[in-house]
Order: sequence, then C-alpha cells, then structure tokens
Amino acid sequence: MKRWQYEPAADLDQRLIERLRNFPREPDMLVYGVRSIVALIIRGLLRTYCRFEIIGEEHLRSNRSFVLVANHSSHLDTVCLLASLPLRRLHRAFPAAAADYFFKSVPRTWIATVVVNALPFARQAQVRQSLAICGELLANAGNVLIIFPEGTRSTTGEIQEFKGGIGALLAGRDVPVLPCYLDGAFRAWPKGSRWPRPRKVRLIIGAPRNYAALPSDKGASVAIAAELRSAVKELARQHAKR
Amino acid sequence: MSPHQALHDPIFLAYLRVIFVSLFMGGIVLGILHWGFKKNLGPIWSTYRSWLVLAPVGLAAIFAGRVPTIIGITLLAIFGFKEFARASGLYRDWWMTGVVYAGIVAVGTASLVSHPRGEESGPGWYGLFVAVPVFAIASILLIPILRNRARGELQRMSLGIVGFVYIGWMFGHLGFLADSVNAYGFLLYVIFATELNDVAAFTFGRLFGRHSLRSEISPKKTWEGAPGALAVSMALPWLLRFSFPGFGPWQLILAGLIVGIGGQLGDLSISVIKRDIGTKDMGALIPGHGGILDRIDSLIYVAPLFLHMANYYNQLR
Repeated sequence: MKRWQYEPAADLDQRLIERLRNFPREPDMLVYGVRSIVALIIRGLLRTYCRFEIIGEEHLRSNRSFVLVANHSSHLDTVCLLASLPLRRLHRAFPAAAADYFFKSVPRTWIATVVVNALPFARQAQVRQSLAICGELLANAGNVLIIFPEGTRSTTGEIQEFKGGIGALLAGRDVPVLPCYLDGAFRAWPKGSRWPRPRKVRLIIGAPRNYAALPSDKGASVAIAAELRSAVKELARQHAKR
Repeated sequence: MSPHQALHDPIFLAYLRVIFVSLFMGGIVLGILHWGFKKNLGPIWSTYRSWLVLAPVGLAAIFAGRVPTIIGITLLAIFGFKEFARASGLYRDWWMTGVVYAGIVAVGTASLVSHPRGEESGPGWYGLFVAVPVFAIASILLIPILRNRARGELQRMSLGIVGFVYIGWMFGHLGFLADSVNAYGFLLYVIFATELNDVAAFTFGRLFGRHSLRSEISPKKTWEGAPGALAVSMALPWLLRFSFPGFGPWQLILAGLIVGIGGQLGDLSISVIKRDIGTKDMGALIPGHGGILDRIDSLIYVAPLFLHMANYYNQLR
C-alpha cells in the first residue's frame, strides 16, 4: 500500500499570536465563515446605525486587482471600505494595517486577521518589505488593497499629507487606483472615543487612475502621493457642493 | 442544570471543593519540589499554570448550565477538529471540513434539543444523537460524487470520517452527559477523573518510568506509569461515591476501568495520529499542554464509554 502524504499547515507549532501575524495566510473555511457572518452583521449595522451610503459604486465593478486609497480619520474607515465591496471579494480584500498597533495583543490581532483580513504593514522599519508584499498581492488577479496613505488617523478630521510609499507602490505598475473620500466617519467615531455615535457616513468613490507610465523613482512617488491627495480633496469639495 | 441549581447541588459543591483542593495541593507539591528539593521542573510549571486557568473555565461553564456546557463542548470539538485538519492538511479541502463542521454542530444540536414528539424522557434527543454519524458519513461519501472527483478522495474521506467520529461525535458524548438526570455527578466525575488519570500517568511515569509502553507510538508512556494511573483511577470512584447515587460496586469498578484504561488509550490513539503525521503536538494553544486535542484526547475515549455504560444500567436518563 502506498503511503499517504500529509501536508500539515506550516505554522502548526507556532503560538496563536505568531500564527495570526503570519502573512500570507492559509485560512480554513471556519475563518471565511466567521468573516462573512461578521461582515453581514457589520453591513447591517452600518446601514441602520450610520445610515451608510455609497456614491460611485460603479467604479468598483472590476475583476482586476485594484487599490482603494482614502482619507483616514476613524476606525470606521476600513469597515466602510470593506462594506462597499461585494461579499465574494471580501476575502481577497486586504486593508494595510499598522503592524505596531493592530498586531500587538491577541484580541486585536485576531480581529485584524479574522474579521478585517488586514495586511500587517510595518510603518517605521521595513517599509520597503511591506510595500513588496503589497506589490505581490497586486501582481495576482482579483485582489483589493486598501491603503490609507496618511499613515495614521487624523486627529482633526482634516486630510493630512499622503506618504510617498503609496506613490512608490503605484509608479510604473499597471494597477488601477481608486481615490475615495469618507465623509462623516470622523464625526461618528473620532480617534480617542470609545464607541461610534450614530452619525451619517458617506463613501464617495472616484474614477480609477493609473500610473503605469510613470518611472518608479522618488520624484514620481511624491508626485503621485500629492496627486492622489488632491483627488481625494476634490471628491470632498464636490461632495460638499452637492 | 442552572446556576441556581448548581449552588444548591451537593455534588457540584463537593467537586468545587475537590478541584480547588487538588489544584492547591498540586501547587504545594510542585513548590516543595522546586524550592525544597531544588528540582528543575521546567515546563511543568507552565502546565500547572494552564490548569489554574482551564479548571475554573470548565467549572464556570458547568455552573452556567446545560446550554453553555453543551455549546462549550461543541466549540472544543470544532476547534479540536480544526487542529486535526490543520495537522493532516485536510483543512485545504473546504467541502470536507465544511461537512465535518456541520456534523459537529449537528451533534451539539442533538444534545440541545428534545425529541420532537416528546417520546424521550428528559432533555436531549438521544435517538438522533446516536444516528448523527450515519448522516455525517453519508454526506462525506457524497462529496466526491458531487464534485466528480476520485483522485486522493479516499484519503480525504477517511480523514473526514475519522475527524468527525473521533473528535466530533465521540467527544460530543461529553456534551450529552449534560442531559443526564445526574448531570453534575457524571460530567464532573468524567472530567476530573480523566484529567487526574492523565496527571497520575505522567507523575508515575516520571518517577518510576523505565520501559516504554508503546515504543513506536509515544516515548513518554511507560509500563511503570500505566498501572500507577490505573490504581489511582480504580480507587477514585469509591472516594467520589457521592457522584453516582445509583451505582453499585460493579458500576464503580467499571467507572474506574473506563477512566484508567480508556484515558491512556485515548492518549495513545492521538499519539498514533501525531506520529504518522510527524508532528509533536497538535497545536500550541495551551502553554505546557500543546493544542486542544492534546488536552482532550483522553476524554474522547472515556466520555462515550462512560455514557454507554451508564445508559446500559439505566442511570443516564
């Protein structure tokens, strides 16, 4: 009789926290099930509690890999962007999350991994390595990368400068990037407050851009970051006029 | 079973004392060995610390009532199977794991609900409970047919069936004990005696162990440890006689044998799986113990044997 071949999970003998920190992940169906159920509950809560509304949803209808870039002022931001995606793409959507904040304690890491499917992003050291992981994700078809180029939540609600990393990721890469503006999330759940308040939250999704033609150097990176920031501000301005 | 009942149940209160005294005494013995005899206990301390967490959590679930107990045991089975699936590589097959998870939930449901036409006395639907494997295995055999695949399917089906029957159903018997008229006595005896049997086997093995019991399966189990643990487990039902008001001497002997022999067989049978897969532990969730399966392995063997023994003597419901 031929011997059976077992293929154990590579992280079998690691502690829970290490297993959760690993990326890319190899989830079993339990993780997908929990994530889908939690996503449905969150979507229902957003619609009722925050009267969540999406403008420009048609820009999301693409089977390619793409990047969502948005202003960041609240924990609601990630939740809203994930809620805008069709459920079947949820498990292929990776919000880049600060490794030094979301991947510290077990409960927080569990939520970041199982519920949010976050990509651990090193903000201080090894930024280049994190960007390389993002690049690999975008090289495969059907992935969605969610990035807040401000690098942290704004404490005033104003849009801060965009870091150059987003430019370095997009320059010379044939991947569409969609600028998004989140309105109301800061009022609903600003940094430092414990629970979200029932305030109207809107997500405005702009038309896709592509920076494949630009060279991948420092100058282009800075220019892309600045351009994306003005695109998000423009969405905010148009929205305010309406 | 309810918090109110637990507070007034002499069996529950007695076990509360027995378990806390055992933990306390265990700590004192370890302390004397560590500070008095300057023995290097190494990982035993972390094993002990984990016990200090596991025991209150288990007691809290039983205190909370029948439903929390059954849900807790079902969750243990689900995450135990997840460990098995990750160790064997079955977790990549979502159809198979999905059906097994559903089967485990069905086992828990059969323990929770009552017979739809009220033809069984007491809570829990025993008829469905013992029939769940038929439906689960039928569903597992159906998967390759539905997917029109044959290559490697025998291995996947086998792993699915072993995973379901062994971890889902056999361990699920512990949940059904919560439906017994003597739920506190049976549940607490089975869990306490089985874990004590594990500790006794380990202790006797460490003290006198020379000859490997099953050299190809587990290097830690010894011929010297096994009878020591069996002796402890044979004596225990007599010491904890208040747990089973309906048991005579013959049933007490059987209760001791089931725990004393079954407990060690459960340990060895999980070792067979681990050895064949080539892994040391099933996981690293519980410091000093390994994974969930490394902790519940003996209970998997003991719980069903004990339940059916009690049922045979009309003591279950």
